[in-house]
Amino acid sequence: MNTISENYVPGHAAAAPQAGAVKLTMVLSGAVFALMMVFGLLMRAAQGQWIDLDAALFYQLLTAHGAGMVGTAALSGAAIMWYFCGRHLVLSGGIFWAFLGLFLLGVVLILGAIFIGGYGGAWTFLFPLPALSGGAWEAGAAAAFMLGYTAIGVGFLLYYLELGRRIHARYGSLVRALGWNLILGREDNDPPPPAIVAAAAVTIFNSIGIILGAAVLVASLVHLLVPGFEVDALLAKNLIYFFGHVFINASIYMAVTAVYEILPEYTGKPWKSNRLFAIAWNAVLIFVMAVYWHHLLQDVVMPPWMLVVGQLVSYFSGIPLIAVTAFSTFLYVRGSRMTWDLASSLLVLSVAGWSVGSIPASIDGMISVNKVMHNTMWVPGHFHTYLLLGEVVMAFGFMAWLVRGKTISQMDGLDRAAFVTYLAGAAGFVTVFLFSGAASIPRRWAVHYEEWLAHDRIGTLFGGLVVLGTLVFVLRFAARLGRREG
Amino acid sequence: MQPVVLIISLILMAALSAVFVAAARASRGPAPGPGASAKRSGLIWVMTILGVIVSVASLREWPHALAGTGDALEVNVSGGQWWWDIDTTEIPAGKPVNFNVTTEDVTHGMGIYDSSLTLLTQVQAIPGYTTQITYTFEEPGRYQILCMEFCGVAHHDMVNEFEVIAAER
Repeated sequence: MNTISENYVPGHAAAAPQAGAVKLTMVLSGAVFALMMVFGLLMRAAQGQWIDLDAALFYQLLTAHGAGMVGTAALSGAAIMWYFCGRHLVLSGGIFWAFLGLFLLGVVLILGAIFIGGYGGAWTFLFPLPALSGGAWEAGAAAAFMLGYTAIGVGFLLYYLELGRRIHARYGSLVRALGWNLILGREDNDPPPPAIVAAAAVTIFNSIGIILGAAVLVASLVHLLVPGFEVDALLAKNLIYFFGHVFINASIYMAVTAVYEILPEYTGKPWKSNRLFAIAWNAVLIFVMAVYWHHLLQDVVMPPWMLVVGQLVSYFSGIPLIAVTAFSTFLYVRGSRMTWDLASSLLVLSVAGWSVGSIPASIDGMISVNKVMHNTMWVPGHFHTYLLLGEVVMAFGFMAWLVRGKTISQMDGLDRAAFVTYLAGAAGFVTVFLFSGAASIPRRWAVHYEEWLAHDRIGTLFGGLVVLGTLVFVLRFAARLGRREG
Repeated sequence: MQPVVLIISLILMAALSAVFVAAARASRGPAPGPGASAKRSGLIWVMTILGVIVSVASLREWPHALAGTGDALEVNVSGGQWWWDIDTTEIPAGKPVNFNVTTEDVTHGMGIYDSSLTLLTQVQAIPGYTTQITYTFEEPGRYQILCMEFCGVAHHDMVNEFEVIAAER
């Protein structure tokens, strides 16, 4: 057992009201993650014909799982970044409560739309599917679903407005907070720390993403009310995928602030902004917005140059991730004599999962490969890798750190068992998806052919391990929450 | 192509995972030396050069290139909730086929599968647009069209098939 390194002096802890709100948010996030994983497990078991699920219910679960996981990844990422920005900025607790309230309002609307209204149009609400259900749901259910998204989007815009305003007040401009003094070699006695650089970049790109998402949501809502109001389906698809891609990536880029702020407590080396770090984050700012075309590689009526950009950026956006974030993690860990408790183990695992998941994603981003991999199980294979072994693990690592106590000790038996169970389950689960993609099994199919059942059943078993590990992480967090402050 | 893609992906993923395991184990070893920065620069250069080579090689021939209309058989495919309509049921092997794909309602994805359920090619069917792809069938046999884009409650039932027949000699 050793105490927190004496070489590192963290910033002041988040103000108490925000810490309370953040803890509540993480409890909710953990509970929803677990519930959505159970939904995922039910879908895999149904595909494997181990349980009988009506197709309409399957697609409702699919919709809830997608919206719930993406929303909760973003919610937990936002809570983490808010917590650590609170070390460097004075943030309004009221804004966070408003953000959380709007999020919960959105959740109620979305769950009502799905499980009362029968909406099952997938989290991507691809125009004009919400209005053309073939009798499976009414327009009101689709409208409630999109109003739920709108409420969540308004909450996030409030969140980013507050962050952007406070960053501007503290650092003079978002440009300086993005590290441009470091990039240009100018003297800066108060350079932005990594969490602020991340917050500045995410504030910019996710605000743009949400605003464009709001545009297509409003257009879709008007189309529901006035069916004669037509929207170009390809334009709508571009807007939806820009919003969706940016939003889910933002969740990881927000959550990674936990790695920047927590790992130094273990390694004794502060994670500092430098020129390369700032360049990488400014590249991310551009890449995140330019890469969404890799979702449209089989929409052959798109201008070819956009598809080429989608392929190129899909690959080159891996460079800041692997050569900067992952490589820096190696350097911070190497020779650090750090203690491997649950929090530090999960946080290092999260960078590994995120980086490893970028490989099948980049390969799928090649147009020629995408021709035979797009919308197969390969796709959930890669995004589950960098979410299940990336963002979600960052959230679990942050939760473990929040209740760690003032001393750092090795993992006890239960922690070790939960960590190994989760890692084995998640690694197996995503690997089965990749094998299924290579076997051409289409994604989002409620009913599978006999030839595919072995994949589904093995995936279900690994999924069970994931749920088991998750339950331990979440229950452990909830049980320990009341034991210590801050 | 799929097995090759799978093997390459798994090898790269395993290699990167192994680096992380090695880094974790090295936490008890010596601290990184002064050469770490040069190694990072080298990694960036290697990734950049590899990216340029792979990009040029994979894009030099445009993956969505269409066969000339004089050389190809034109086949029209339309989709709707939840059916595929194909204007021919027999396609000769060895001759390029231009598929012209439309949808009558929502977005669908036309995926062509062979008899062993391997995906050969695909294209999205987008409301208001005609999308085109070219494919040349080498082997006679039964082929299926499966929907690759989620389109509602009977998405998984949206299947049709056609026959590829031996080319006339």
